[in-house]
Amino acid sequence: MVQVNTWEEGARVKELLIELIGAPLGTIVSQLIFAAQYTVYLSLIAFVGGGIAAVFVTLARIASYRPVQSVATGYIWLFQSTPLLMLLFLCGLGFPHLLQFQISPWTAASIALTIFTSAYLAEVWRGAIGAVGMGQWEASKALNLRYAVMLRRIIIPQAVKFGLAPTIGFLVQIIKGTSLAYIIGFHDLMLIGKRWANAPVDGSEPFVVYPIMALLYFCLCYPLALFARQLEQKALARGQ
Amino acid sequence: MDNLRFFEIYRSSEYVGLLFDGILISAGLTVAAGLLGVALALILASVRYWQVPIINWVAAAYVDFIRNTPLIVQLFFIAFGLPAAIGYTWPFWAHALLALTINFSGYFAEIFRSGFASIPVGQREAAAALNLSKKTIFRHIVLPQTVITMFPSLSSQFIFLFLTTGVISEIGVGDLTHAGIFIDSRTFRSFEVFITLTGLYILISLVLKSSLQLWFRSTLGKRAPG
Repeated sequence: MVQVNTWEEGARVKELLIELIGAPLGTIVSQLIFAAQYTVYLSLIAFVGGGIAAVFVTLARIASYRPVQSVATGYIWLFQSTPLLMLLFLCGLGFPHLLQFQISPWTAASIALTIFTSAYLAEVWRGAIGAVGMGQWEASKALNLRYAVMLRRIIIPQAVKFGLAPTIGFLVQIIKGTSLAYIIGFHDLMLIGKRWANAPVDGSEPFVVYPIMALLYFCLCYPLALFARQLEQKALARGQ
Repeated sequence: MDNLRFFEIYRSSEYVGLLFDGILISAGLTVAAGLLGVALALILASVRYWQVPIINWVAAAYVDFIRNTPLIVQLFFIAFGLPAAIGYTWPFWAHALLALTINFSGYFAEIFRSGFASIPVGQREAAAALNLSKKTIFRHIVLPQTVITMFPSLSSQFIFLFLTTGVISEIGVGDLTHAGIFIDSRTFRSFEVFITLTGLYILISLVLKSSLQLWFRSTLGKRAPG
């Protein structure tokens, strides 16, 4: 079995970078890459957490019982209209101050981004389910399928082809959204980069550090954007 | 809940004044950046429509880069990076306006591009058969239809972008978020302050949305088919 010592690997990457692009820059880039993993973790938490929450919101949104539908519609509207920054402030400062409890930046940022994600994904998925023809619902009803079976076997498999591309595309919004979490003290690419940009070190000027950060965010987001675009074109081609 | 103390905010004329100024600055900068952004986006999308060599690629790369990097990094680069590199000093709001304009233009350009692409080829062929010049086809057939059909997307994108403008407080612009952070630092009523701010942001976005709709209905909307 091959043992991979990540710490040693990290140090080797850092040495290599320093050798390639010089001392301050190599250190900065290696630290930024290291910090970018927390951007990725937070994005994944938001995506998975928001996705699970969005399943319930979507189910409530398409429920036949009106009050449940209205609550889901209200939830989507409210959190799509609330700036992400305000969600972060409320989760990181507002509620902890009001109810007198401590919260870590991890928890606060995860909750805020999960709520943000759930509202948008629920809207996307509702649209995808709405795009499945009425005839499919009527036919499943005529076959006397149970609601859960109808959703799982008939509606959702068809809705996936409408919803997949915008869902992947929304991941880009999540990754970009995590860049605000530093405001409540979350240690990620943004926070470490900002520290370097403010540090009085030659070679870590803001005009050097911010473009590198932009490039790292771009490397995280662009493949997803490309993938989403490809899926969309495929879906369009299939639709014609 | 008797520990909610909203009155600490709204009983102070200083705080109310700050919030009011913040609303004006947030809304004003967003509208200005929106107009400039639409202008820049039209140029970018037109360059791509006309397939101007090289610039075409530059425009595409610009749009992809803007759309795939966070606003706050763009903002910090423009506010802290460029001044140090080139050596100009602008007021904070001008940095914010430039950053927002650049950011908005990327999103709007993508909407215009897909709008141009959605005009059926048959229309362009029919117009060409009528011996209309390419310029006329673009100005009188492609562009007006795009603006009309894409208006809803543009307007909802604009509202979404407005909700991200709070980050300009990070470079010292006295916008709504900045006012909130200041009041929070004085009163320590974080919950009340940020709930108030959230309400104000929602209110402004509703006002912006309905004014856009009213304007559209009284002008371009009349020419919309159906």
